[in-house]
Amino acid sequence: MAGIWVYAEHRDGTIRKVTFEILGEAKKLAEQKGEELCAVLVGADVEGMASKLGAYGAERVYCVEAESLSGYTTGGFTKALSDLVQQEKPSILLLGATANGKDLSARVAGRLKVGLATDCTGIAVDDAGTLQARRPMFAGKVYAEVSFSDVTPQMASIRPNVLLALEPDETRKPEVIKITPDVKPEDIRIAVKDIMKTGGEKPDLTEAEIIVSGGRGMKGPENYHILEELADVLSGVVGASRAAVDAGWRPQSDQVGQSGKVVTPNLYIAAGISGSIQHLAGMGTSKVIVAINKDPEAPIFKKADYGVVDDLFKVVPPLTEQVKKLKAE
Amino acid sequence: MEIIVCLKQVPDTEAEIRPTPDNTEINYEGIKFVMNVYDEYAVEEALQIKERVGEGTVTIVTLGPERAVESIRTALAMGADKAVHLDDPAFGGGDAYSTAKALAKAIEGMSYDIIFCGKQAIDDDLAQGGNILGEFLNLPSITGIVKFDLSEDKKKATVQRQIEGGIEVLEVSLPAVFTATKGLNEPRYPSLPGIMKAKKKELKPIKLADLGLSEEEVGKKGAQIQVLKFSLPPVRQAGTIVGGDTPEEKAENLAKLLREEAKVI
Amino acid sequence: MLPAREILWNAGDVRVVVYILAAIPILIFAYTLYERIRLWRIGGQERRLDQLGARVRSLITVALGHTRTLRYRYPGIMHLFIFWGFAILFLGTLTIFVQEDITLPIWGITFLHGDFYLFYSLILDLMGLLAIIGVLMALTRRYIWRPAMLDNKADDAITLALLLAILVTGFVVEGARLAAQQPPWGRWSPVGWVSASLFFSEATSHGVKTIHKVFWWVHLGLAFTFIGYITYSRLLHIISSALSIFFRNLNPPAALRPIEDMEEAETFGAGKLEDFTWVDLLQLDACTRCGRCQDNCPATFTEKPLNPKKVIQDLKLLFQEKGKRVIADMRVWGVKGEKASASSSQERAMIGEAILEDEIWSCTTCGACIDHCPVFIEPYPKLLEMRRYLTLMESRFPPEVQLAFRNMENNSNPWGIGASTRGDWAKELEVRTLAEDADAEFLLYVGCAGSFDDLNKRVSEAMVRILRAAGVNFGILGREEGCCGDSARRLGNEYLFQIMAQQNIEVMKGYNVKKIITLCPHGYNALKNEYPLFGGEFEVYHYTEILADLIAQGRIKFSKELNLEVAYHDSCYLGRHNHIYDPPRKILRTLPGVRLVEMERSREKGFCCGAGGGRMWMEEHLGTRINHARIEDVVKCNPQLVGTACPFCYTMLVDGIKEKELEDRYRARDIAELVREAMG
Repeated sequence: MAGIWVYAEHRDGTIRKVTFEILGEAKKLAEQKGEELCAVLVGADVEGMASKLGAYGAERVYCVEAESLSGYTTGGFTKALSDLVQQEKPSILLLGATANGKDLSARVAGRLKVGLATDCTGIAVDDAGTLQARRPMFAGKVYAEVSFSDVTPQMASIRPNVLLALEPDETRKPEVIKITPDVKPEDIRIAVKDIMKTGGEKPDLTEAEIIVSGGRGMKGPENYHILEELADVLSGVVGASRAAVDAGWRPQSDQVGQSGKVVTPNLYIAAGISGSIQHLAGMGTSKVIVAINKDPEAPIFKKADYGVVDDLFKVVPPLTEQVKKLKAE
Repeated sequence: MEIIVCLKQVPDTEAEIRPTPDNTEINYEGIKFVMNVYDEYAVEEALQIKERVGEGTVTIVTLGPERAVESIRTALAMGADKAVHLDDPAFGGGDAYSTAKALAKAIEGMSYDIIFCGKQAIDDDLAQGGNILGEFLNLPSITGIVKFDLSEDKKKATVQRQIEGGIEVLEVSLPAVFTATKGLNEPRYPSLPGIMKAKKKELKPIKLADLGLSEEEVGKKGAQIQVLKFSLPPVRQAGTIVGGDTPEEKAENLAKLLREEAKVI
Repeated sequence: MLPAREILWNAGDVRVVVYILAAIPILIFAYTLYERIRLWRIGGQERRLDQLGARVRSLITVALGHTRTLRYRYPGIMHLFIFWGFAILFLGTLTIFVQEDITLPIWGITFLHGDFYLFYSLILDLMGLLAIIGVLMALTRRYIWRPAMLDNKADDAITLALLLAILVTGFVVEGARLAAQQPPWGRWSPVGWVSASLFFSEATSHGVKTIHKVFWWVHLGLAFTFIGYITYSRLLHIISSALSIFFRNLNPPAALRPIEDMEEAETFGAGKLEDFTWVDLLQLDACTRCGRCQDNCPATFTEKPLNPKKVIQDLKLLFQEKGKRVIADMRVWGVKGEKASASSSQERAMIGEAILEDEIWSCTTCGACIDHCPVFIEPYPKLLEMRRYLTLMESRFPPEVQLAFRNMENNSNPWGIGASTRGDWAKELEVRTLAEDADAEFLLYVGCAGSFDDLNKRVSEAMVRILRAAGVNFGILGREEGCCGDSARRLGNEYLFQIMAQQNIEVMKGYNVKKIITLCPHGYNALKNEYPLFGGEFEVYHYTEILADLIAQGRIKFSKELNLEVAYHDSCYLGRHNHIYDPPRKILRTLPGVRLVEMERSREKGFCCGAGGGRMWMEEHLGTRINHARIEDVVKCNPQLVGTACPFCYTMLVDGIKEKELEDRYRARDIAELVREAMG
């Protein structure tokens, strides 16, 4: 009996959001194919999370539990997941395109000798029930419609924040199947010595989803707190233009631009940055660009999705308030 | 210390990428090709390890058309010792799976302690090759490393792997496969004597027949996924200037637009 | 009685003694000079015996005529006095030697008598006086005024004291002789006459003779000391500076020396002294520490670690250290200089010890150091040779430089914007490319800034509209155009430069291009002065030359009054390096309602914007910002607008005005934009 499987990635006892997003879309595929939607949890103690997966649409949840799986290892998780897949033979296996999701999916695909599409932004099945995926290539310069060979499972990893999760329905109770995997130390081969959390601190500029950058228009280091406050309410980080770094207002590591860091956040807010070509090269591929500058001729406006022509000192603080309000809603 | 670096040649990040009129392929005409950026970190790390250890060989393994020689030479100019080039029309058009298959077959017969790859190739962005290669060679693999330390006895490596919100510190016995990402090092710029020397270094071409694989196992025919159709992303809308009589009003309108239209907050 | 003078009069017949005494310093001088020449020749080859006529002409105008020295009025006159004073005094002494030891003993001819003798006495006396004035001026300047451009060493004091002592004792001797002899023509030696009446009016004849004898020997001793001291002191510049002038670079000043035979060469650039050419090493000895280079250096002015005088002096010190060992080896073993130098291992490193990397990277290649050097020493090309070494041999440069190199390699522009979009700025204007129409008379070579930088794209656009209005038949290369390579070359990456130059030349030749208009002075310099060595011979014009011509021909008509006070900022690569000072000014003067004013530092003294020499692509962490210093010049001059004709200058000035928050008072615009505006 085939099925559409979603690998449920979890961290610190919480299922990652992308899993629910995949379940939401996979539900449609399962209905179309007339197959069951299943989720797979792998870990040392995961059964408690199964019901949540049910609420988001999984009809069955496999809980693959072993002490040796208490932390993610490529070898251990690959063994556990691929053994189960080989046993149960799902038609489609979907994962989140996170660091571990990409890592696991690639190794599993290699072991199962099946096709895998990475970082997909859309999935569907054709009339024959074969998976079709849409994915960006060349960092999003083009998109590709990908088809798979008929070796199953057909695998895809899905980009977070793209698909829509279903409204959770706590009344839906999934069938929970406990699996004891056959994972030996020689399957793992890698020892996790430490996990240094950087979550307490801000993510690196290159990883940040939201960046609030300030340039020459900030007038001095003492004014950056208004950007920090905005970044805080947006859960973003603060960057700076070369001018601000040159002036000694911000550390070199904050510099966005050609001679600093190249960033691709979802949202880039440029405050008091005119948009020298070097700067534009460093942030031009951001998904959404906002420019706040009092000079309407500033080149940054040509690249910005949203431009505010005004004094940043009068715009940024109320913007922070507005975002706070919206987030509170 | 024998180190192998898998290297791919890809279009430059600034290159304009367009599909052919029938949308089934990418139009590579007039495009500048360079060494994949993540592979540069891989090459650099291999060279640094060799320099630290004081002995060894860094071998470049590349699958790609004839033009890829240019990037191989760049790696040799940086200091790699020799290269093998899987250059056969049969290898073309593959996915990570069929490419890794050919690479694994080529590497099988070589001696190695460490295999480096880039985290992903910036053209197809699949980010699979390192792990599938590890699987085929039955080696442990670690993706996206930002730090590499070799143990005293050179039998183990302690690496740092970047994950969301943290860094994993992992220890693995060699040989193993590692994929490199930004932060691992700063790739060197080849010196002119290096460039000149690179022209004389060994570059061995490998054909399909040399690997003992069939045409069905490699390239497009051996691939598990296939691109049916390419399309361009929607063109970026011309920017909107956020209206409002006062700065406060503009701020309010902007927040709304970001929430409702752009959906980024 | 015929006016004449008894040679050796009171001194007695000491001829033989004098000649033996003279032989010592002359031999010392000759041998040590020979050693110096050997030392210079540890440097590499360089052909500097071409264009002999021009070389002799520079020797006459610059060395004898002091044309360059006189650019600084006071020290120029000071040196002129000392130089000509001593030169004539030396010739005077030589005249006596010729008469006494050649013409008289051989043919029995004397000529130092009669009117000629009187004239001779007068001239020599006046020259001595001139020299004294010169030395006093030097002492005043060096020790009382103490300008920042001078640094004082014991050698300076010793040399000046020696000069003064020679002159003063000379006049004491003359005064004593005149007092004792009381010749009727004594007044023809006015200074000696005054000296006689001042010092010896009361003295007895015997006393005067004694004093005369003593001072005669003292004067002689000092003169011989002088000869022996030359090669050990700054006096060497009498020889070395003259040689430096004679062997000056006669090529276009900003055309860098190409590295030839890159495939075969083993080292590139200068990592040690021997990697320089013999001319470079000679120049180290030609420097008199006059400080004009440092006085005009934008890096020094903005408190960066670079000071061209110090660079030359630090290299000279290293050269002296090395020279001592080489000479010691030479004297003991008679081995050749180069062998000896290779054996000296305890030598300080040239890069990193004698010259710091920050000094090497601080240079904007503005050329002021060369242009202001009275003896054509070339400080910045030496820095560029060191950059070549760092870049090509060691791959050692600030991280931004690596990025710029990569960008130029991959996309043929330092910004790294996709090469395929190079022609996009011209799309809306529908400018024809040579691919579409190869018959265009002119190629408009736009350059990277004009193609990619928003600010400078406006200049490209203005230029297109002007050329069209004037009916000029032109085309562009569009995406086939490549970076000229100026920045790569000046950042030491000769390899990359040559690749880019060859690509451009190939494309241009492919379209049979004859005449080129460039927007950027850096492209202008590269195409005009550097490409010919790589087979690219084109007629190259900067756009200001073309516009000035078109205006003069009446092909551009103005209809709009601009009503502006404009100061023109000279681009180094246009002005100093290529002597295009007038066309931009001519253009500005013809614009209706434009009043042209000059900043204090303009034309030959023009001050760099800070972006040359690849500095455009580098951070400016050290000292203060050069463009800010230039904006201060603007403030002093207080025009309404600064006109530029260079994309780098334009960017730097716009940034400077913004950074100094003077946007309300000043604007910067490119001249082409002003022309376009005035056309209505």
